[in-house]
Amino acid sequence: MLMRKKKVIRCIIAFTVLVTGILVFFLLNIGIGSVKISLSEIIGSIFLKGNDQVTDTILWDIRLPRSICVFILGGALALSGYLLQTFFRNPIAGPFVLGISSGAKMCVALVMVFLMSRSFKTNSFTLVIAAFVGSLISMGLVLLMTGKIKSMAMLVVCGVMIGYICSAITELVVTFASDADIVNLHNWSRGSFSGSDWNGVRIVFVFVLISFILTFLLSKPLDAFLLGDSHARSMGVNIRALRVGIVLLSSILSACIVAFAGPISFVGIAAPHLMRKLFNTNKPIIMIPGSFLGGSLFCLVCDLIARNILAPSELNISTVTAIFGAPIVIYILFDKKKHN
Amino acid sequence: MSGYYFKTEKLTVGYDNKPIVKDIEIGIGKGEILSIIGPNGAGKSTVLKSIARQLEKISGAVYLDKKEISDYSGSDLSKKMAVLFTDGIKGDMMSVEEVVSAGRYPYTGHFGVLSEHDKEVVFETMKTVGILDYKDKDFDKISDGQKQRVLLAKVLCQEPEIILLDEPTSFLDIRYKLEFLSVIEKMREKNISIIMSVHELDLAKNISDKILCLKGEYSDKFGTPEEVFEREYICELFGIDEKNNQFAKDKGIEIF
Repeated sequence: MLMRKKKVIRCIIAFTVLVTGILVFFLLNIGIGSVKISLSEIIGSIFLKGNDQVTDTILWDIRLPRSICVFILGGALALSGYLLQTFFRNPIAGPFVLGISSGAKMCVALVMVFLMSRSFKTNSFTLVIAAFVGSLISMGLVLLMTGKIKSMAMLVVCGVMIGYICSAITELVVTFASDADIVNLHNWSRGSFSGSDWNGVRIVFVFVLISFILTFLLSKPLDAFLLGDSHARSMGVNIRALRVGIVLLSSILSACIVAFAGPISFVGIAAPHLMRKLFNTNKPIIMIPGSFLGGSLFCLVCDLIARNILAPSELNISTVTAIFGAPIVIYILFDKKKHN
Repeated sequence: MSGYYFKTEKLTVGYDNKPIVKDIEIGIGKGEILSIIGPNGAGKSTVLKSIARQLEKISGAVYLDKKEISDYSGSDLSKKMAVLFTDGIKGDMMSVEEVVSAGRYPYTGHFGVLSEHDKEVVFETMKTVGILDYKDKDFDKISDGQKQRVLLAKVLCQEPEIILLDEPTSFLDIRYKLEFLSVIEKMREKNISIIMSVHELDLAKNISDKILCLKGEYSDKFGTPEEVFEREYICELFGIDEKNNQFAKDKGIEIF
């Protein structure tokens, strides 16, 4: 019984740390930038609306929607990674590694160029749908291959190859696009949270919230699934339905990220892994909210660095996430080796 | 074959619609033990998997408590039937206690949170099986013999009426084998029926009420240990030829 109590206490502390971290970095993200905004000004602007016009505009139109976007999408990215890792029973599966992000990117590029050249206005909703279709296509390809390939290393290699193919097609599209489109596409495809607005926040919020709730409702069957197919089946879990659910949810989540921030690497692998270490468990009921918060925090930190380290110019977020995320992936591989 | 708790009628099993074993007719009552024996590749696991609904049966019927097995919902079946198969379980950072608790899945609510009663059942089961000493250890870090007992506890936790075991004693040394058998006896006392596949003939002979022998396309023989265990028949079942037989006799090796 003592052990159980220890685990509960550990979880409570871990969640407290995460939430505090998110609050702190959220405020830092709002406050720090080319224009510094003090805490009292932030409070004043949010609750009293009493600052000068410029500060208010920076706060409300730029920093706040951006930080909220980072919070939601960072979480979505980590959750999507966690789902894929559960699905493939493989600690380095993730939307970026398996080429799912690249597939989404390809579809978004196609839609952007195709619609823009016909002077349609692309809205965020269309982009999400395009990204969703793209991620489903790559996910489908990966699934087809997993039917034939059992080895985890081969699967990752296949994912990377799918990613290259999709990137190649994207480049091809870019070559034939007009100059104005290229600027747009290029900015977007480097991965950045800049340009987040309230409209985007609203759409992202709805998509991610629904996916999060549905994922959380799956936590019990996922728990059984973690112990193996035969166990899950003997517990009465409908494995086929569960698999479809995981694929759809992780695709929607990664589609949201790609549509709004472009492909962002390594968060999907690094954040869930760090959370597993922090909570010392892989139980979905803890890891689903845990990964989400972990991913949010990870992205808030990375975005803060991306915006400020070389200010006034901005790094793209993938540069920063890769610097922190890639060593973690290497660590996972070494850790795995040690265990076997 | 009425009056049985579990029975099959013309059950044909196999993969991808290709039958491996045809027309199996077996039945056991409550608290009885049925052992499936036969040479490697005879389809022992296939039969068990089909009975457990892990594998689509090709034709025929399986009745559990007078109801066809396909008519059970997944969760209803999981309250009656528990399985322990060889395709290993990965601990995935779980402690022994957590793995055992996983057996309470059919009884917990929507989010799988254990009630006080569930916790009690888990505790009692761990005590019965004798794994309380290492309940807080990492499941991936205990020995194979210990793992097997933990999985047995998980299965018992499910409070089933029938348990299917696929080669439960392989890889166990003699001490664990005996301990395992004593747990099986406890299950029998609780009126739980058991169907298992075994390689050790002496074991099958001594604890089973019924034996199913598999060889070739049809189930070869079904009956009590006395009916099945004749030297000549067993030699034929496993393809033990005159030379092997003589060798065993010379060296004093018991076949069963």
